[in-house]
Amino acid sequence: MNIELTGVTRSFGKNKAVDGVSLEAGPGVLGLLGPNGAGKTSLLRVLATVLPPSSGEIRLLERDPGRVADRREIRRRLGYLPQNLGYYPAFTVVEFIEYFALLKEVPSARVARAVAAAVERVDLGAKAKSRLRTLSGGMLRRVGIAQAIVNDPDLLLLDEPTAGLDPEQRVGFRALLRSLGETSTVVVSTHLVEDVGAACSEVTLMDTGHVVFRGTPDELVARGEGHGIGDAPLERGYSAVLQAARAAARGDGVAA
Amino acid sequence: MNDDNDRDIDLGRVWTGIAAEVWRRRPGRVERLAARLLRSPGLARALLTTPSLLLPWLISTAVVFGVGGLVNLVGGEPSVWLLAPGLAAIGIAYAYGPGVDPAWELASSMPVSERMVLLVRAVAVFAVNAGLGLVVSGITYWATADGLHGAGGHAAAATAAAVTFAWLIPMTAVCALTLAVAVVTRSATAGALTGVLAWGATVLASQVSAGAFSAAVTDTATYLPYLAVAACATAVIGYATRTPRRIQ
Repeated sequence: MNIELTGVTRSFGKNKAVDGVSLEAGPGVLGLLGPNGAGKTSLLRVLATVLPPSSGEIRLLERDPGRVADRREIRRRLGYLPQNLGYYPAFTVVEFIEYFALLKEVPSARVARAVAAAVERVDLGAKAKSRLRTLSGGMLRRVGIAQAIVNDPDLLLLDEPTAGLDPEQRVGFRALLRSLGETSTVVVSTHLVEDVGAACSEVTLMDTGHVVFRGTPDELVARGEGHGIGDAPLERGYSAVLQAARAAARGDGVAA
Repeated sequence: MNDDNDRDIDLGRVWTGIAAEVWRRRPGRVERLAARLLRSPGLARALLTTPSLLLPWLISTAVVFGVGGLVNLVGGEPSVWLLAPGLAAIGIAYAYGPGVDPAWELASSMPVSERMVLLVRAVAVFAVNAGLGLVVSGITYWATADGLHGAGGHAAAATAAAVTFAWLIPMTAVCALTLAVAVVTRSATAGALTGVLAWGATVLASQVSAGAFSAAVTDTATYLPYLAVAACATAVIGYATRTPRRIQ
């Protein structure tokens, strides 16, 4: 298993952004769905080793991120796209991706080829020498994806990767996700249920810091049968699960 | 497979190889040297992207030191010692951290140690400021030394030398304090303000207690407190950037 979480909680003051999450994942594409404030981004930050958990146990790539040597090795094999990609406006696309390849300790002799391969995979070859300040939001998102995959990660964490991508780019990106998921564990946090339906082999739905559903996209669709809210089958499943979870939390006696 | 297929060329792979050569960025001399010294190309690149080591910042720092030197030469009042700790403190506060480094969150998920990046950047900014300050101090000291010998002999020259060069100790304390506050509050502005205000208060207190602003750097009795502040601040930085352990 590349991800093993047991009772992981992350608090900010009195607010529990992630509340007792247990999760296991091997190779494949795992969609992380949930409304705003559900705890998806905090969970991704914990998985990215940017935030330590307040409690609970984590093992990533069969290592303990609480240990310095293990964490360093995890980070070498990790790709992370944060929700807000900070970038250096004066850097070119290649310089930016190369910078993170170096920080990821990709061997110097392999950096140039790894950068070129990452740029090509996100279809930014024509903009390779462009300064980041001249790129559109969608292109910057692709630059962010390229830096995340430049080290051929075994664990790839993407927070809202399709934000700003046009429909054609989204289709291409989903194909990239499926191909990456053949060998790596890819966790994609998104609001777009169509991304989940098209690219994910499994779905985890979060609400108020808890995992309220774990299954395949088909199982999520099945949960929405006979449910009126939502235009697409997955949206109906999403709404049905959330409603049931909230009713259960209120004590209405409806199982989540 | 037939012979034709055996001779097939993976065009994608070839193109990636060509693109890698075309796009390859040769690191400059400074970066190569830093990579060798630090034994990490990543750390070297992180050092060269230090916001307060970029050219506009360096130019403005050099200009401020230059003006301080001119004031010294024209008015006879050593002023570099007053500027150096404050300038270095601001530079160090803006060397690293959220809100300063645009890609800070991303950099925090990298195997190159965050603490090492912070350390090499702080040391580099300190060294640059100390170097600039020493050059300007040296120039102004040697330009005025003859006059001092003529007017008051060796005692005056010794005092002038102390004022000229002794600011390195308070500068160390002010920089460490600034960095500690910036790291703990995760705010470069809070760190810079604290450092500058603390240094300003120290200089004013010297005037009140010893009757001379310059006592802040010349009074040897203050060196131990400065070093104590630097040690405490370093301990705070070490604690604030410690490895987060799993909490059971």
